[in-house]
Amino acid sequence: MIRLVKICLVPAALLLMASCSSLKLDLVDFGWPVESVVTVTSANKIEDVRYSVTAWVAGLAQEEFQDSTALHGAKLRLLRSSEGYYFLTGPKFKHVYVFSPGPSSLLLNRAIPVSEVGLRNPALNQRTPYVELLDGDNFHTLLTSDDIVEVKK
Amino acid sequence: MNRLFLLALLGATLCAAATAQRSDFALKSDFEDRYRQISSHLDSAETTQEIESLKGEIVKLETDYAPHQQFLDRALYPLTFTESIAKLRSLQVLTYDRVYLIRTQGVKLSELEARLNSLTTRLDSLTAQRDQLFGELQESRKSLTALREAVKRLSANLAAKDRLIFAIADTIFLPYGKDLHQVADLQKEAIGQRLEKTNVLTRVYEIAADNVKFLDVTQLQGKDYGNLIEQYQAFTARWAGLKEKITDVAATSAMVPTGSTGKGSAKTPVARGGVKEIRTASATATVEAAHVDSVLAEWHARLNTGFWGGLQKEFTTAGITVAAFNDGPSFSSSVRQYVAALAASKQDPQPFVETLWKQKIDKEWREGLSKDAMLGRTEYAALDKLVSELSRETIDMTFMAYIAGILVIAALIWLMVFRKRKRPEQPPPATAV
Repeated sequence: MIRLVKICLVPAALLLMASCSSLKLDLVDFGWPVESVVTVTSANKIEDVRYSVTAWVAGLAQEEFQDSTALHGAKLRLLRSSEGYYFLTGPKFKHVYVFSPGPSSLLLNRAIPVSEVGLRNPALNQRTPYVELLDGDNFHTLLTSDDIVEVKK
Repeated sequence: MNRLFLLALLGATLCAAATAQRSDFALKSDFEDRYRQISSHLDSAETTQEIESLKGEIVKLETDYAPHQQFLDRALYPLTFTESIAKLRSLQVLTYDRVYLIRTQGVKLSELEARLNSLTTRLDSLTAQRDQLFGELQESRKSLTALREAVKRLSANLAAKDRLIFAIADTIFLPYGKDLHQVADLQKEAIGQRLEKTNVLTRVYEIAADNVKFLDVTQLQGKDYGNLIEQYQAFTARWAGLKEKITDVAATSAMVPTGSTGKGSAKTPVARGGVKEIRTASATATVEAAHVDSVLAEWHARLNTGFWGGLQKEFTTAGITVAAFNDGPSFSSSVRQYVAALAASKQDPQPFVETLWKQKIDKEWREGLSKDAMLGRTEYAALDKLVSELSRETIDMTFMAYIAGILVIAALIWLMVFRKRKRPEQPPPATAV
């Protein structure tokens, strides 16, 4: 009898666990309507007040400028795409960094090369399903989380 | 000419390119900067002319950014684009009002607001007390004394609330003088906002509804009605005045589009939305006023039913049957009919005159009956005289009977005495010698 109960309970438990782990909410739009312009503090931190996002960007400064203090006081452009990726760039950057959120971290998904000489005054716009990168009047690029889709110069 | 055309075309192309490549963040920031600038000018404005000119700036801001409304509604935080413009307009109206009141009436807006706050706080505390008193009324049904005390306190509470709500309304309207037609549209908008903020219409409705509830749950005596009728009449008269003013303010709001400069407003979707919003607010005020009217009609009906029903019950309790009545004329007619029937019959009028009319109606109901809305002082006096005469006729008849009795007795005595005196003296009997 006990054996019979065990035989019945084990598949039921497995079924329950499987149904829990497969729960997925679709059609989520993570997109911010407008980018955040965040200033890097002397402690190498950026903070977006509206969406309550803080990050330590010393690693980004090291990666882009090979100097962990290079971003002090810089105004970075941060935008979350509708898919949920964080796009980050700033003046003098040659790349747009695309991060995916991880546990207490932002994981680099792709560093998209966008300028050979470095951007002057970049801006990110939400253009679902893309992210638009502008730099001055004549630089207009559409990005995905992986690459450049369209360039107009 | 061709060169000019080419330049214009180039300019237009550049503009289009610039617009197409504009940063969303820059757009949002520009809007916020212009918003802050207007807001700051409003804060520092000292004349009504300055504030009037800023109205045009607000309209321009709205018109310029209306094509980006969808984006700004999401990008601005915590207010949307429409809410931001509405807030700026409200600020402009209130600033205009503040400056106007200081310059023309010497009234500081802060003093006005403080008085309004104090009055509304007092009203709210009375409302809390009212709930407690209604509870006490339910509990004190067992003891007549306690019940009378609860009725008295609740009645005083409701009367105080009546006075307070109209004091609030007076505080709002008084600084603008008696003739509201001479008040500028901007002031009317300010009055409208203040009426909405202090919730005057809802409060008037609640107070009238409280009075209806009071009449529903309370067993009243004849002497209670005098004050209640007076209270109802005062409330109705004050409400009529207030309603006229509110209608005037609401009509102005409905006529003046929020985006109008008076020189032809830009018909943007937002501007149209603004007009719609104000029209809705004005319609709400009209609907709320209609609700107050309906609850006042209910109050009047309950008061009438309670009053005439209670009076009819006095007749029934005294064992006197009169034709049913439910208003002044029918009451008067019933009493007249009964008095005529009583006078024609040989019935003793004392139970009616002494027990009912003098002890109950004249003592307890006279005050209520004397009100013009019920029977009226003149008609009551006429009825009282009629009933008194019925009593006098009775007294005269008795008096006459007594007089007649006395006269008969006097006549008998007189006859006896007279006959005794006139009896001839008998000659002494002859004696035999």
